[in-house]
Amino acid sequence: MKIKKNIKNFFAEYASFIFSVPAILWQVLFLYAPFLLVLYTSFKSDDSNISITLSNYITMLSSPYFYIIARSIFIATGVTFLCLLCGYPVAYFLAITVHRRWKNYLLFLLTLPFWTNFLIQIYSWIFILDYNGLINMLLLKTGLIQNPLPMINNIGAIFFVMLYYYLPFMIMPLYSILEKIQQDVLEASMDLGATHWQTFKYITIPLSMSGIKTGIFLVFVPSFGEFVIPSIVGGAHHMFVGSLVSHYFLVVQDKQLGSAFTIVSGLVLIICILFLHWLCSFPFRKIVRKRIVK
Amino acid sequence: MRNFNSYILPTIVIFFYFFLYIPIFILILFSFNDNPFTCTWTSFTWQWYYDLFASVEIWHALRNSLIIAVASVALSLMIGINFIFFGTHQFVQRTLFLFYGSLAMPEIVLAVGLLSFFSFFSIPLGTTTLIVGHTLLGLGYVVPILQGRFVELDKGLMEASYDLGATQRQTFFYVVMPLLMPALITAGLLVFIISLDDFIISFFCSGASVQTLPLYIFAVIRTGASPMINALSTVMLVFSSCLVLLFSFLHVKKTRMPK
Repeated sequence: MKIKKNIKNFFAEYASFIFSVPAILWQVLFLYAPFLLVLYTSFKSDDSNISITLSNYITMLSSPYFYIIARSIFIATGVTFLCLLCGYPVAYFLAITVHRRWKNYLLFLLTLPFWTNFLIQIYSWIFILDYNGLINMLLLKTGLIQNPLPMINNIGAIFFVMLYYYLPFMIMPLYSILEKIQQDVLEASMDLGATHWQTFKYITIPLSMSGIKTGIFLVFVPSFGEFVIPSIVGGAHHMFVGSLVSHYFLVVQDKQLGSAFTIVSGLVLIICILFLHWLCSFPFRKIVRKRIVK
Repeated sequence: MRNFNSYILPTIVIFFYFFLYIPIFILILFSFNDNPFTCTWTSFTWQWYYDLFASVEIWHALRNSLIIAVASVALSLMIGINFIFFGTHQFVQRTLFLFYGSLAMPEIVLAVGLLSFFSFFSIPLGTTTLIVGHTLLGLGYVVPILQGRFVELDKGLMEASYDLGATQRQTFFYVVMPLLMPALITAGLLVFIISLDDFIISFFCSGASVQTLPLYIFAVIRTGASPMINALSTVMLVFSSCLVLLFSFLHVKKTRMPK
């Protein structure tokens, strides 16, 4: 009887704790433990003894594959920058310029492609860009070109489709931050004699900085590890971090080298993110400093 | 600058929407094209839709996808809401950052980790492993969304419920759950779409036996696409736009109610 009561008391006291644990357990077991496992595997040698070795890292760093990380950074940075450049005007228009009546329709139209399968979005561009795709067909029919243009299976196609796919990921956070900016602030700036451009540069951009950071994060991280878009529209020659990782794990099944490669590219990614973060806070700091000095 | 705001900016936006929608319109248009191999328009046909509904493989893949999506929505909501409601301990609150990990890592790292984990413990890959992976993805969205809503809730309501003699369980089911319902629906829909859409984790953790819809589409695209994919995309597009419309309609209705 007493034991039963004790158990009951125990549950009453710790019930809340017990119910909250599965979530933590799930994360630790399926996210952080696997990550540590990958880290451990990257230090293991081919023959399955326990000893720890650096040989995987040495093999990897001396292989030409290391160059692939640089290429991934290059393309991810390019895509992020272009997304920011193309996405900012759209987000600005949606948040500040457009009349309230059209806003909801435009937002709905913006999110709609986002809900469709992303493979289909990519596939639709193959359909258009292919050798006997729509654009080539039209150009050949009108006689503007004699031979089909090579618009697919090259780095340009990868860049273009990535830009298409990731643009909404940049626009959404920018929009949600820009929308919170009070119109009064912008009007006050104009009243005090600032031009539109000055208002934009000194008020709008610094105020939307957190949205820019989120957008950069949301575009840069997935586009660094992207392997679906290159493998569909990029042809066979363009390897990126994602394609190489999947090659190591699924094709040649070299887990040790694959893990080492994953860890190194993860570290590079973190460094890049920190650098971008620092870069983003730069203009804001500069403005603040100017104020203080004056 | 006035010129910029009233002419140049709208032009950019119109161009952007054109860019966003041109491939979708073309897909829909050519799903009715009789000629299967080129983009030249020959004549109108429903054939690809007949093929689509006759195809056993697609229905099988869709069934798998739906099972996995529903299971991961249920699991992630259940685990998430328990964590939010019961995890008010200081210690538990400090673990909140754990849930941002799945958002901060590229999905491929997640997938590789899960694959190594399953093969290390020699767990056979299949539907279960996919549900585990998608629930992990889902928790990354569910916990922040629910947490955000739960923090905003009036804690006085819960205290009132306790004062009136309700147990913790009763408070949970009769007070907290109804108040969190909009957030639960949003989060659930998001996880559902993410799970249906997910390719990378499915690609790594599905094994040879289970095929989901994205895996099927990927296989068809790689082996040379058939116009059936156009028909499939059109159907999915119509379906998802109906879902989003319905959802936004419900949402608008709900926010207007108090007036």
